[in-house]
Amino acid sequence: MNDALFSQLSTLGSSVILLYGFTLLWRKSLHAYTVAFQWQSIALTFLFLIIGYFGHDVELYYVAGFLFVLKVLILPRYLGKLEQRFPGERESRPYVNVATSLVVAGLLVLLAYAITRPLVLVSDLPTRGGLPLAVGLIFVGLFVIITRKKALTQIVGFLVMENGIALLAALGTYGIPLIIELGVFLDVLMGFLVMQVFVYHIHDTFESIDVDQLNELRH
Amino acid sequence: MTWLLVVMIAGYGIGAVGALTLGRSLFVRAAATSGAIIGAGAAFILGSANLLSGQTLTIQISDILPITGFALRLDGLGAFFLVVIGLLGVPVALYSFGYSAAYEGRYSLRLIGAMLNGLLLTLSLQVMADNALTFLLLWETMSLSAYWLVVTEHDQPGTLQAGGWYIAMTHIGFAALVAMFLLLSGGDAMSTSFAAMRANALTLAPLARDAVFLLALFGFGSKAGVVPLHVWLPMAHPVAPSHVSALMSGVVIKMGIYGLLRVTLDLLGGGPAWWGALVLAVGTVTALLGVLYALMEHDLKRLLAFHSVENIGIILIGIGAGLIFRSYGLMALATLGFIGGLYHTINHASFKGLLFLGAGSVLHATGTRNMEEMGGLIKRMPWTALFFLIGAAAISALPPLNGFVSEWLVFQALLGGFNIPVPEVAVAFPLAVGMLALTSGLAAACFVKAFGISFLAIPRSHEAEHAHEAPLSMRIGMAILALACIALGLAPFSVVPLLGGVLAGLGGLPDTRSVFTLDLMVQAPAGFAQVSPTWIGLGLLILLALIPLVMRLMHVNRKRRVSDTWGCGRIGQTPRMEYTATSFAEPLRRVFAELYRPTKELSIDFHPESKYFVKSIKYSSRITPLFDRVLYDPLLRLIQRISRQVRRIQTGSLHLYLMYVAVILILLLIAARWF
Amino acid sequence: MIVTGYVLEIAQVALALLLAPGLAGFVRWLKARFQNRRGAPPWQPYFELRKLFGKEVVMSNNASWLFRVAPYIIFASTVTVTLLVPMIVAPLALDGMGDLLMVVYLLLLGTFFLALAGLDPGTAFGGMGASREMTVAAIAEPTIALAIFSLALSAGSTNLGRIVTQELANPAVTVSPGHLLALAALFIVTLAETGRLPVDNPATHLELTMIHEAMILEYSGRYLALIEWASWLKLTIFFTLLANLFVPWGIATTFDPAALTLAVLALIVKLAVLGGIVAVVETRVAKLRLFRVPELLGASFVLALLAVTSSFLLK
Repeated sequence: MNDALFSQLSTLGSSVILLYGFTLLWRKSLHAYTVAFQWQSIALTFLFLIIGYFGHDVELYYVAGFLFVLKVLILPRYLGKLEQRFPGERESRPYVNVATSLVVAGLLVLLAYAITRPLVLVSDLPTRGGLPLAVGLIFVGLFVIITRKKALTQIVGFLVMENGIALLAALGTYGIPLIIELGVFLDVLMGFLVMQVFVYHIHDTFESIDVDQLNELRH
Repeated sequence: MTWLLVVMIAGYGIGAVGALTLGRSLFVRAAATSGAIIGAGAAFILGSANLLSGQTLTIQISDILPITGFALRLDGLGAFFLVVIGLLGVPVALYSFGYSAAYEGRYSLRLIGAMLNGLLLTLSLQVMADNALTFLLLWETMSLSAYWLVVTEHDQPGTLQAGGWYIAMTHIGFAALVAMFLLLSGGDAMSTSFAAMRANALTLAPLARDAVFLLALFGFGSKAGVVPLHVWLPMAHPVAPSHVSALMSGVVIKMGIYGLLRVTLDLLGGGPAWWGALVLAVGTVTALLGVLYALMEHDLKRLLAFHSVENIGIILIGIGAGLIFRSYGLMALATLGFIGGLYHTINHASFKGLLFLGAGSVLHATGTRNMEEMGGLIKRMPWTALFFLIGAAAISALPPLNGFVSEWLVFQALLGGFNIPVPEVAVAFPLAVGMLALTSGLAAACFVKAFGISFLAIPRSHEAEHAHEAPLSMRIGMAILALACIALGLAPFSVVPLLGGVLAGLGGLPDTRSVFTLDLMVQAPAGFAQVSPTWIGLGLLILLALIPLVMRLMHVNRKRRVSDTWGCGRIGQTPRMEYTATSFAEPLRRVFAELYRPTKELSIDFHPESKYFVKSIKYSSRITPLFDRVLYDPLLRLIQRISRQVRRIQTGSLHLYLMYVAVILILLLIAARWF
Repeated sequence: MIVTGYVLEIAQVALALLLAPGLAGFVRWLKARFQNRRGAPPWQPYFELRKLFGKEVVMSNNASWLFRVAPYIIFASTVTVTLLVPMIVAPLALDGMGDLLMVVYLLLLGTFFLALAGLDPGTAFGGMGASREMTVAAIAEPTIALAIFSLALSAGSTNLGRIVTQELANPAVTVSPGHLLALAALFIVTLAETGRLPVDNPATHLELTMIHEAMILEYSGRYLALIEWASWLKLTIFFTLLANLFVPWGIATTFDPAALTLAVLALIVKLAVLGGIVAVVETRVAKLRLFRVPELLGASFVLALLAVTSSFLLK
């Protein structure tokens, strides 16, 4: 009974998280990206709590706490600051248009199902239903990074992909040791800060945060 | 003995941490210097104690490295190299105190101080590494800390390029070493301890053993600067701070020799004759080409760097001869060859360290490395001149200094070549003798040039005219090494048996400590020849004292008048009339023109009135190094051609790059799923 | 017995120092005769030495302490060599002090300082001499080493006393092809190392063709005396090596006075014969251009290499 509920909840949570990932594909303003990421992180926090509750793992509560502070409070705030600094930078013309993006994302999720199938088959984890969704989210995040032109949207894509990895870790192992989880958070924060510096530099150099301009650096 | 190890590590650690954390630059320099002196001093004592007692020190710390742990073991061979490191480390550290003062405000003294200690630490531990992982980890750390020291003067032209060549060559070698250890461990990751490899090497197929040997020769050769892998050496050594050049030339490249001996002689336990023949051939070519290119060099530090190549060649000749003799079971002669190689290793560390420190003092005083702008320094910096002269005489193998002893040992080993039953192999020995003799003759010519043009005659530039003597710490550093050159030359009777002890048991070599007699003679095994540099040195000294005495007793005219230099009737002598380094080397450039392929450019500007009045003459001449011409240029062109092809996928689009990553990731996942 | 050995060593040094100027003078005199000149008497170099030792030194104002020290080092290193070369008796008491390699490198020590002293006053001539001297010395080195190799091959040692005694015990060795080739090679090297024609002209007064003379141009008084004496001594040493290593008969193997007297006489005769040969050579050949000298030395290297390989084949 408990396991069935756990299974239902984890799959549902994963689906919600993946759906927030999909939002990125049809929205264009940076603000929408930030909000989507924020809500996704809230969902992820809840999922961590759920897994922690059903999996009887107190550490996951701490992880959820850190996750909340970092990804719901700190990072969106920084993203907001960046938005204000570069107003009017919209993701107006991505490499792949919205319709195609959605189709490709769907295919990627299918691929994720195909790839994780052997894993799901042999696994007796209650959370196994969410595994393909987590891999799918990683793919979607990667897809966003590849097809979006603005440095800021790419950062969000990266963060989403990272959420996917965290999700996969939580579902697959009920949370890796706390110390590693903290390390990963620190990595994310550092990565974010580095990318932020890059964004400033790209803007200084090209008067735009369009990554496409980097082509000119080739000689 | 363990406490000495602790003192050593603590010394270096204090030096590095102190350099990084202290405030005033004086304290930074003092911390780096004192830490390094304590560390290197302890290393020297630890090595000597080990050599004298013959005990082996083993330390295993399993938690530091995964799988195998951090294993240290100090045996005779390691202890010998530890002594070399300590012998050079102490004076270099002392010297760096004065030398790095000039860097204040220009470069990071903290980094230099910390890296110097780090380099010395990794070097000192390197010779104790007892499993492959420890060895490789230290090897890489050593290369990297040396790299940071080389690029200290990063804003000078050529420095970063030199650093790039160094790091590229050393990593190509590193790859070979990884492959070599994999082969040696037989693919089993758990048996990377040297003891397991030693056992494993016996069961390896001959072909695998050959491969291990070739990889070792390549990997360690690239570190040692063996021709044709020497190209980084004459680039990196000149641009590094001079005390670092001394360390690089004195011990860092010697790690290549250490590794080669450790693997071929210790782990593999020796091999067929062609191994030795290959080492001998490589050594001969390295020695000869090294000195030939040194002759054409007018950058004092580049010249010394090429001489390092030459001396590595001489060391390899000794080792190669040793390997050949070993394969034919001529153990006494084999030991003689190895002893010659090892003796030359410590000798080269002392005199080349001394010479680099001397060149550093000159650079410090004049701001130039170009010999054509020096001259007359013997009057302005008499101590540096004296020390450099001792180093120059030692490296030219002049008795009674140390260079002679080791070359004599190598010569004696080669002269024993007729004992080899196979004529095809034996005939290589007289050739090697001839080439070695040519090398040492040319080295003498080259150092007459280096010392004569830099230190003697009239200053050739304003800077040389206003040169000043090096500060005390630098002079003491040089004095220590000069004394080492003299001591190692005069006391071979106590050094040679120690080396015999180092080699005893390695690759089945016998204990020759009793074969080499302990009186003041050094005797080659089987009574082939004997010589006593000690008595010769004493004889020379007595004669030097006796001659003036006799002359005084004979009432020889003792008046001395200083007057103008005689000059064929011209009035006044200027530095422009002096022989230059270029002109000094001209006869030899002509003799070896086939090798150098010199190109000359001469343009003369005549006075418009008459062509008998010359306004200006411009002469420039350059040589293209053989291996640049036949190996590296074509190789680089090939790489560039491939790179141009590869560049097609480099569009500059970040998205495309990310796409590559994504595609590879997905392909990998698919492959993992279905294959 | 041991004391006699050391006394003999000192006596040998004295003999060498005494004979050296005479040998140089004899070659000069003989050459003059061959050239239909009267020439200075053979003992002229003794007068030269006395004259030079009596004169004051005039030093270049550019020269440093090295210039003053060099003559002593050159002289001392050459005299040390006479301790090692068996001139009248073999093996010498100090035979174990040094072998042929030690002899060669001790002589190189002298050459090294002579070349440095040539550079010290800063004249172009000195530099030219130093450059050429070192070039010739360096290229001659492999020939010497190979000749040593070939001698060592037959004697089983590089120590001079051993070589001589081995040859006396086994005379057939001395006429073996390897030995004769080595002799020829070493003879060419002797001409080069001691500054004789066709490599260097000891009598030249044209600075541009000088090697040895160019280096010592700035020397005078007692310094010049020491250097000249050392160079004559070097000639004597090389002649003795040629004589006693290849034709060892006459040399004493015991400290018997009669044998020693005979040995001194034999030495003088051998030196005179070699001096005669050199005088003939110097009369017959012209000086080679400097850049052809390496060809000559290359030829001698080939001879030495042949010497070694033929010794190998016969062994």
